[in-house]
Amino acid sequence: MRIRNTTARWGAFAQLLHWLIVLLIITQVILANIALDLPVGVRKIAMFARHKSVGLTILALAVIRVAWRWMNPTPVLPDTLRPYERTLAHLTHVALYLLLFAMPLTGWMMTSARGFAVSWFGLFQLPDFVPRDKALYEAMRQTHDTLALVLGATVCLHIVASVKHHFVLKDDVLRRMLPTKETH
Amino acid sequence: MRKAETAAYATRTLRCMLAACVPMLAAAAPAANTSAPAANTAAGSAATRYTLDAAHSTLEYQFVQAGARNKGLFHKFAVTLSFSPSALPQSRLEVVVETASLDTGDQDRDDTMRSADLLDVAQYPQARFSATSITRTAAGYDAAGKLTIRGVTRVAHVPFTFRSSEQQGRSVGYLAGKLLLHRLDFGIGQGEWKSTDGVGNEVTVSYALQLLPAR
Repeated sequence: MRIRNTTARWGAFAQLLHWLIVLLIITQVILANIALDLPVGVRKIAMFARHKSVGLTILALAVIRVAWRWMNPTPVLPDTLRPYERTLAHLTHVALYLLLFAMPLTGWMMTSARGFAVSWFGLFQLPDFVPRDKALYEAMRQTHDTLALVLGATVCLHIVASVKHHFVLKDDVLRRMLPTKETH
Repeated sequence: MRKAETAAYATRTLRCMLAACVPMLAAAAPAANTSAPAANTAAGSAATRYTLDAAHSTLEYQFVQAGARNKGLFHKFAVTLSFSPSALPQSRLEVVVETASLDTGDQDRDDTMRSADLLDVAQYPQARFSATSITRTAAGYDAAGKLTIRGVTRVAHVPFTFRSSEQQGRSVGYLAGKLLLHRLDFGIGQGEWKSTDGVGNEVTVSYALQLLPAR
């Protein structure tokens, strides 16, 4: 399997980034829910600290991912797609990329506005993104929550589309993001 | 993850976040400083008695939470100082901090820090430092004395620098410094808070005080 993309399929590095981010986003949802359910205490602090560290990791991976996409060919969509499907696919992908940035950035702003400094797994401390500000915290918290729902909905659309490509349209749109043997 | 699960998680995330954040809407206690009357200790005539200019003084602390340095401050504290570089034996320093006036900018965190497992402000509303001797050091001065926090008294050396300047015909004193404490030395951290994984043991207290001569 090639490291770089071709116009026919995603290369190994793009696939690695895609599936790594999938795993990290699932981790984020689980960590956030565990942390929110915990009473204020050492474990809640630890869970949120992990949530923030993983979020920053996703932000860094998103930067690498966009850069890699820009430096590589992008696999083309099948010719069989109708124009509206093509547009929908592009919009979904753009939304997903934007959310990969918006989620960690609003989270970072939220925690800075609340006056909680952020470190990356305790290894180094990040600067405060914004000054401490209660109103900004509230706004960012609501934005972060809302975007989480938008991300959930967009991911659903993305999954439904990939399943349709694989089982209904029987093209290789899903397969080309999987480390399978090249069919052509 | 199946989409139904994803949607359920997302919905739950929103609900939990909203529920968890309601208490935070309460506004922080308004800042109000108090200053103690001038020292009435047996200060020698050579030591100047000062009172705290609370509006221009800060008492802050830094601690590590989840690997990151966080800051807070105390709004209410009283300082009694009799001081003169040329009359150190007659110099006195006493600081009383209203522990409930702590403020880290977050209501949940502040309430937690006030609770019985941490500063226990209901039981121990004041923290106190009383210097028994003030000596000169290479960097400034050292106030040696007793530091009482959360009912535990320990010997402490409070380093500080002092300078004074004439402003509008009167001498204004500036006292500043940093003190490294270990919270567990004072029992700040009972139960699960004895762990230093989430919140570090080290707490750096910083003070920058402006002092006016007592009338």
